[in-house]
Amino acid sequence: MANSVIDWLYSLFGIKKDIKLGIYGSVNAGKTTLANRISMDWIGQQVGKVSVIPHETRIVQKKEKVVMKRSRKKITLNILDMPGLATKIDYKEFLKYGLSKKAAKLRAKEATDGVIEAIKWLNNVDTVLAVMDATQDPLTQVNITLLGNLESRKIPVIIVANKIDKKRADPGEIRDAFPKYPVVEVSALKGKNMNNLYDAIAKHARRR
Amino acid sequence: MKLKMNFVSSAALDEKPKNKRIGFILNIVKDGTILITDGVLKPDEEIDLIKETMRRVDDGFPGIEVASLKKPAKGFSSVLEKLTDQKDKLQNLFVGATDAKSSLRTGLTLIGPARFIKKVKKNPNSFSVLTEV
Repeated sequence: MANSVIDWLYSLFGIKKDIKLGIYGSVNAGKTTLANRISMDWIGQQVGKVSVIPHETRIVQKKEKVVMKRSRKKITLNILDMPGLATKIDYKEFLKYGLSKKAAKLRAKEATDGVIEAIKWLNNVDTVLAVMDATQDPLTQVNITLLGNLESRKIPVIIVANKIDKKRADPGEIRDAFPKYPVVEVSALKGKNMNNLYDAIAKHARRR
Repeated sequence: MKLKMNFVSSAALDEKPKNKRIGFILNIVKDGTILITDGVLKPDEEIDLIKETMRRVDDGFPGIEVASLKKPAKGFSSVLEKLTDQKDKLQNLFVGATDAKSSLRTGLTLIGPARFIKKVKKNPNSFSVLTEV
């Protein structure tokens, strides 16, 4: 209640403070690339390392006090880059990338712990960017389960249709699959359409 | 190699308290069996299913594949669904979230071991499953 009153007073001056922005999505959707892009654009710092090997992010990576300005609004974000959500993690997949059996098994164990940690964080985030790879079928159980949980917990969500720089990208498929949600098409890698995303964050992000 | 499917009625799953239901499902699936039921888990149970699956992943069990079709709740059934949710919330308060029972939503769910299910293709009103044994 006290938070709501304080937030309302701040909003009169166009200020949104300390919003915990969770970046969620399937593995290799481009979550860390997006987190890095947002953080680099506003404070010139990276959030985490990006890799072609799945499950590179296995712990929650944070970047606090990222101050974003949109026209007369000032928004302070605490960015939380989450491990990718998955219903399966097979260590044998990592062997294809040249990892030893021991390293692959360790990565799989850490990745399973990462998924559990990301799920636990759903109780603490204020607003979520649900990142989807626009070159892939969006109607996956992970995406459906994620959006269902955000809706039932009343957490504001913006779907980020990422990788639109790729030829096979079809962000329209994401819009068709989830018509109830705001969808912003971006290429986090190339920095394309990021202003549209920042406008959407300024519009939808709020503390819970 | 043979692939086994278990068809479990939603009534049988409704009977189980929340803390037992996920374990019951995963015991069947980890055994190499595909479970099909005439109901859909609620979002919080779906996420619990993923969480519990991750706890059970090992060398022989890489996880699960899930596909579900929920019957859209319209009109009176929508009101009924909301009332049931409220009833479940009240039950959670008095009995505790883990011991409480809750009804599955109307629909269809398939949960199977990822080592056999290679691909699930979902459409708004149907899904297809490709298995390899």
